[in-house]
Amino acid sequence: MGGLALAGVALGGCAAAVAPVAPGTIPVVAAESQYADVARQVGGRYVSVTAVMNNPNADPHGFEVSPSVAREVARARLVVQNGAGYDDFMGVVEAASPSPRRRVVVAQRVLGLAVSIPNPHLWYAPSTMPKVAGAIEGDLARIDPTHRGYFAARLARFDDAMVALRARIRSLRARFGGRRVATTEPVGDYLLSALGLSNATPFRFQADVMNGVDPAPQDVGTLETLLSGRRVAALLVNAQVSSPVTTTLTGLAGGAHVPIVALYETMPRGFTYQSWMTAEIDAIARALGRGRSTRRLH
Amino acid sequence: MHWLVEPGFWSNPVVGTALVLGAVVAVVSGAVGVVVVVRGQSFAGHALTDVAMAGGAGASLVGAAPLVGFLLAGVLGGGSMEAAGTERVRDRDVATGVVLGAAAGLTALLLYFVSSSSSATGSTQSVLFGSVFTVSPSVVPLGVAVAAGTLAALFVVRRPLLLSSLNPELAAARGVRPRAIGLAFVVVLAASVALSALVIGAILSTALLVGPASAALRVARGLGGATLGAIAAGVAAVELGILASYDSFYWSSAHRSVPVSACVVGVILVEVALSALWSRARARRG
Repeated sequence: MGGLALAGVALGGCAAAVAPVAPGTIPVVAAESQYADVARQVGGRYVSVTAVMNNPNADPHGFEVSPSVAREVARARLVVQNGAGYDDFMGVVEAASPSPRRRVVVAQRVLGLAVSIPNPHLWYAPSTMPKVAGAIEGDLARIDPTHRGYFAARLARFDDAMVALRARIRSLRARFGGRRVATTEPVGDYLLSALGLSNATPFRFQADVMNGVDPAPQDVGTLETLLSGRRVAALLVNAQVSSPVTTTLTGLAGGAHVPIVALYETMPRGFTYQSWMTAEIDAIARALGRGRSTRRLH
Repeated sequence: MHWLVEPGFWSNPVVGTALVLGAVVAVVSGAVGVVVVVRGQSFAGHALTDVAMAGGAGASLVGAAPLVGFLLAGVLGGGSMEAAGTERVRDRDVATGVVLGAAAGLTALLLYFVSSSSSATGSTQSVLFGSVFTVSPSVVPLGVAVAAGTLAALFVVRRPLLLSSLNPELAAARGVRPRAIGLAFVVVLAASVALSALVIGAILSTALLVGPASAALRVARGLGGATLGAIAAGVAAVELGILASYDSFYWSSAHRSVPVSACVVGVILVEVALSALWSRARARRG
């Protein structure tokens, strides 16, 4: 029955019209919902932003592009994407409808990183989004120079909202820095290093789970020992990915009273980038400070 | 022994589950495989693996145990393939091919839904190529029960089954109903494919079914001996494959291990090649 219902949804999705663009606004497409939010924060009322990947129940690594995405990208004046091999389908869609009027912001290029960087979850680094927001503001001002003052003011407001987030990270670093945690995936690794936490999971294991490949039994054994021996203060899992291995590990962590924190890969609905990161940081603090699990963000 | 079995092999719980389940699966595949090869049903066996694959994909979509999906789809698909049963070999070949293609298409659709709507990453890998190192120990009792049932059913139908395979006229004269026997065997075959899909994946389970059995049939005299040989060769392939996969972690400094299914299929290929050399050498000696 579930299969039939899903089939209905998918077929309906094929026929769905592309979201309308409000007159006088710049059509913007962001590959992931977190970049869409930053584009909205900077562009304000002069942009119409759509996000390609915004389903918090699906794994972005398994994403397949639909025809409506191709139409939205063909029409967009500005495209924002992560790069680093995370959303390669965007490049394919852009190449299919070349346009000299379209500008593309690639976070990985803005940060000056190589495409082959092992951990593509760049938005979890607190230093990433201010730079991406700056690049978005620059491109919006070039596309619509009459409102360049408006975009600059919105960018300043975005940066102000980042100040509180950075202060929270600093205070938690002072309190919990050096604590050991385990992870199933590299999704939050940049945030962990910003918080000064030490990640006891081998990167090879994280990459295998991220790529949907079976991890080596040796690495699974390492993780099981970390959790059942309570040698880590928390287990951080990817809320959007489950596999037999992650299910086994969360079960072990629950049995050993190691708190579990769900990290989302794309921004869940009802959040801004800053409120989402704050919620994730608060969840980590609850786990380290009070031993409490957060399996869902609300 | 240290150079052969790397440290931690015997104490690793993941490996323990894999060794037990792998041995059970290999016993069933070996016993069923001999009959498959004798009946010339390798291709039907492979079509069943594709049907089972669709079941496994459906199971991961609704969050059910993969073994249940493999089993249900295999029994349903195999039953309908046999019930539609055509007498002429050519029609049977075409019917098998059509079922195989349709099942593979359905698998693609279901796996697309899995990756686009739920969070079960790695389904494609585990359904197609198996992941015995990620099988939960709680699956082992169900696997052993299915294996015991399959072997018991095979034991019950073995005489009329082999008679109707080797000498249909004599079987008919003794009152054996070929359709009923064929249907019973397809159900046994579906169960065996479902089990081996857990260990080396749906798409590769043909290898475990046909490889050890064909090697044993070349070497052993008599069907009893061939069955024992196929079981021994199958168990050896699975256990050596698991060992090789575990050891391969230490072969490179990056610790990239070779997947179990690839190791198992590699051992099976070696066994088949050795059996071919053996039978050629025996023929030369006369």
